[in-house]
Amino acid sequence: MLGEILNTYYLQIGSFILINIMLAISVYVPLSSGQLSLGSAGFMGVGAYTSALLTIHFDLPIVIGIIAGALAASALGVIVGIPSLRLSGVYLAIATLGLGEVIRVIFVNWDSLTRGSVGLTGIPQLGREILEFARGVGFEPAMIGIKNNQFVFLSIFLVLLVLVIVILWFVVRQQNSRVGRALSSINLDEKAAESMGINITYYKVISFTQGAFFAGLAGALFAHVIGYISPADFSYHRAVEVLIFTVFGGSEVIIGSVFGAFFLTLMPEVLRFVSEFRYIIYGILLVVLMAVRPQGILDANLLKKIKFKRSKGGIR
Amino acid sequence: MRGLNKKLFSILSIIMLLLLAACGGGNTTTDSNSNKSEDGVISAKFGVIAYLTGAGAAYGEAITNGLKLAQKDINALGEVNIELVIEDSAGKADQALNAAQKIMSDDSITAIIGPTLSTEFFAVAPEVDLNGIPIMGTSTTVDGIPEIGDYVFRNAVPESLAIPAAIKKAVERTGAKKVAMIYGNDDALTKGGFDVMERTAKEMGLEITTIETYQEGQSDYNAQLTKIKNTNPDLILASALYNEGAVIMDQARKMGINIPFVGGNGFNSPQAIAIAGDAANGLIVATPYFGDSTDPKITKFNEDYEAEFGKKPDQFAAQAYDALFIYADALKRAGSADKEAFKEALAATKDLEGILGKFSFDEVGDVIMDVTVLEIKDGKFIEFE
Repeated sequence: MLGEILNTYYLQIGSFILINIMLAISVYVPLSSGQLSLGSAGFMGVGAYTSALLTIHFDLPIVIGIIAGALAASALGVIVGIPSLRLSGVYLAIATLGLGEVIRVIFVNWDSLTRGSVGLTGIPQLGREILEFARGVGFEPAMIGIKNNQFVFLSIFLVLLVLVIVILWFVVRQQNSRVGRALSSINLDEKAAESMGINITYYKVISFTQGAFFAGLAGALFAHVIGYISPADFSYHRAVEVLIFTVFGGSEVIIGSVFGAFFLTLMPEVLRFVSEFRYIIYGILLVVLMAVRPQGILDANLLKKIKFKRSKGGIR
Repeated sequence: MRGLNKKLFSILSIIMLLLLAACGGGNTTTDSNSNKSEDGVISAKFGVIAYLTGAGAAYGEAITNGLKLAQKDINALGEVNIELVIEDSAGKADQALNAAQKIMSDDSITAIIGPTLSTEFFAVAPEVDLNGIPIMGTSTTVDGIPEIGDYVFRNAVPESLAIPAAIKKAVERTGAKKVAMIYGNDDALTKGGFDVMERTAKEMGLEITTIETYQEGQSDYNAQLTKIKNTNPDLILASALYNEGAVIMDQARKMGINIPFVGGNGFNSPQAIAIAGDAANGLIVATPYFGDSTDPKITKFNEDYEAEFGKKPDQFAAQAYDALFIYADALKRAGSADKEAFKEALAATKDLEGILGKFSFDEVGDVIMDVTVLEIKDGKFIEFE
């Protein structure tokens, strides 16, 4: 029964949706303090390469690789964040975009370590490692009536789902805390926030670093889901794509990022039947939606309208 | 606060339910294993993953056109009946993997052709291999492709076959001792080609005067070329795609560098002549496909292709055309569309006559065939003597 409804194709798309939700959140969090960061592709690359190299060369467990990847990305976030947060708005966007390109070019040129543009092959796959582990403790996928590769993708999907839920929980909790209110006050008016005694630099670095952490985490997971990475995966196209997730879905509310990533990842797959034209439709859709709803599909007003009743304060 | 969390969880669970519900549809496709119809014609379905949208869509289009033409010709022969299921990869590894999963979720698929780029292939092939489905690359020339697994094959002539052939012939004729190298280091194809060039030059005992790199989309190569000119080489090994390579040659000739260039697979295109004009003279490439050949098989292919799609075929279309004939031949010998039998038959392919010449697989599933070395002379590709 279970074996029939679990299609690896859908599970795979589901996994990519969840990874993209993480990436969209990595843009959303800095944006909630008024910082437009386009470095997500670069941070994602740092996370992916760190985790992949550690697991390939030192045989470390994937979990440690992923944590190390996310931490490496956030460390870079702190280092880069402190000086570049003097910038704001479009200048910060350009600086972070530049950072992403620098990181990609390092991957391309650091041949001895990253194998250049040919990329890293043979990265341990998350699902297969879980399968081996499950077998080690005496569990066979056949026991619940599913095939091995269904189990592999189901386990990836569930791991990602849990992680996304934890991240969402964390971000929402933070938004309604002292930190979150500090961030949104910085977003609304930096000078006013500062005169209220909020340490702007501190909070900005916090939100920037959180963005870097989520992007690094998503990158590390991406590497272990797909099993192969090359610098082309982390080009500025990726940064723009991630930004579109957030802006399209609505950058004012976190559910907007989730929706944007979900919808825009699913869209090209649903449109597969029109083959060559699917990206044309995708493009037209973006143009129309940005013309009609520049604030993104979901915003605070709309959420209120559709009776999204919740305690006052709400998500921002 | 609590209510909000509840909302989030409920939305996520709805998303998940939707996904799971959607899963129901996929497996209900044709489950008929009766792939042999009454008149003895073996039917099989092949999945194709190609780069059909995005910057490199021209490659995917040439490949799918080649396959469609081959499908028509093969089905007309009446021995086997082939159905193609074509999916787009948009040049991205994750999209290619999605396409592969979609194809593999249909149990009646016998084998897969593609994806187009080596960077997509590296992501897709291990997964396909684990599922026990044969997969063949028609345009993936980087080292290490067929080594991925038992079910992984390729009929694209790898750089490690084409480039050494071209360099050897060029050195034989020009007596070159010193070579300079230039390559695009942010593209897997040109980087892979460079690795082979460097290895070959070292094996042949050539002195490498300098190694220069450029970035994809660069338009001014004067800095690199000045350096190359100062080291006074006898030959330039350029691992470049034709659009950048042609500009490099043009600027080199303007600078007074008149020595021959040796290029890889990506440099081999009539477009190089269209872009660089006379400056393209003296380019030496090795290729399995020589478009201006007088071989009747090739002229017929060129004519058919042009009649069907209104443009001239290139190397990628020709290789894709041959690929489907290799599959058809294996299918005939396997006698059924069973994946295991098909894989065994495919691996045993030997001396199959395609439009590009005699074709065999070696023990890992890599291609064995002769390549022709071409040069551009007076604005035309001719066979290198």
